[in-house]
Amino acid sequence: MPRILDVGCGRGKYPGAIGIDRNPATDADVLCDWSRGYPFADSQFDEVRLVHVIEEVPDILATLAEVHRVCRPGARVVIVTPHYTDHSSYCSPTHRWHLSSFSLWFFSDKPRQYSYYAPANFRERRVTVTLLRLWRWLGVEFLVNHLRWFRRFWEYYLCFVIRGKYITFELEAVK
Amino acid sequence: MPNGTLKRILDVGCGKNKFPGAVGLDRNPATDADLLSDLNRVPYPFRDSSFDEIRAVHVVEHVEDVIRFMEEMHRLLRPSGRLYLVTPHYTDSGSYRDPTHRWHLNSFSFYYFTEPRDYGFYSPVRFREHRIEIRLLKLWRWLGLEWLVNRSRAFRKFWEHYLCYLVRGKEIHFWLDAIKPDTWVGQGLACPEDRRRAPAGNT
Repeated sequence: MPRILDVGCGRGKYPGAIGIDRNPATDADVLCDWSRGYPFADSQFDEVRLVHVIEEVPDILATLAEVHRVCRPGARVVIVTPHYTDHSSYCSPTHRWHLSSFSLWFFSDKPRQYSYYAPANFRERRVTVTLLRLWRWLGVEFLVNHLRWFRRFWEYYLCFVIRGKYITFELEAVK
Repeated sequence: MPNGTLKRILDVGCGKNKFPGAVGLDRNPATDADLLSDLNRVPYPFRDSSFDEIRAVHVVEHVEDVIRFMEEMHRLLRPSGRLYLVTPHYTDSGSYRDPTHRWHLNSFSFYYFTEPRDYGFYSPVRFREHRIEIRLLKLWRWLGLEWLVNRSRAFRKFWEHYLCYLVRGKEIHFWLDAIKPDTWVGQGLACPEDRRRAPAGNT
């Protein structure tokens, strides 16, 4: 059975996962301050999930390095975070970071000119942007998710009008 | 800057593209830095009024405390020394692409260092605004909007208030001159050679 870690699981822990959170009122199996590190040995998990977590951590680079540490080689990492044009990115006063669909590009193996920034290495498997319902109905979401150049164009020119909701990153740990 | 003296330039957060002839400061050993130092910890390892020019290109959006950073820039610049600052405009996707960007700024973000009327009590340091330039996305540049935005301050203000979510910005370039008493010169140069190079009559 795959070992799954749900970081900042809150009250909607992923089925079958080990949940960590710092609040005892959550579904957490282990209580710890997830902004500081996880109480697990290296290379323990086949999947690590951070759903609406990275926008709150004090240091995204350190968090991704910690996720990389507990991942087995080839483990799947799922990260969900609001797009910076969504109102939910600004709703919570605990959100420190406002991110785009290219924000985790630094960690993937392509743009290695920034590897000195972020040594943890991940392969980008898939990035999916969820748009507001109206734009989904009109087919814009389909375009954004199926044509990488269109996603880029959308990020640069359109997204303050055709606003995003959240981004789902699926990465693979390279180690 | 008198003739015959070497211009001392500091490149703060120089990364891998240090400005030619500058002293590079960064916290990452994989960069071109001459000195390694955490930019969130002031003071930086230089004496007061050590530099004629400081370049901070895509740095201020990363630091933990912008006001403390600007105060440090002011301390390190000699009187009328120039701070050249580049940062993404908050409507550029680049402002959100880098997961280490803490601040999303606009072309009036350093207003209270230059025109301290309303928020001058935030910090005692003062800069003179020499120039501010906006770069827009290519399409808008081709259509002449960049020229318009940079032509008049009133139009830039109108753009910031009404247009910039559609006609999106890219980068903001600030040239700010430190306002501080002349007597500060020569008292805090980094090494004795610099003391010899200091412009005569200013001390």
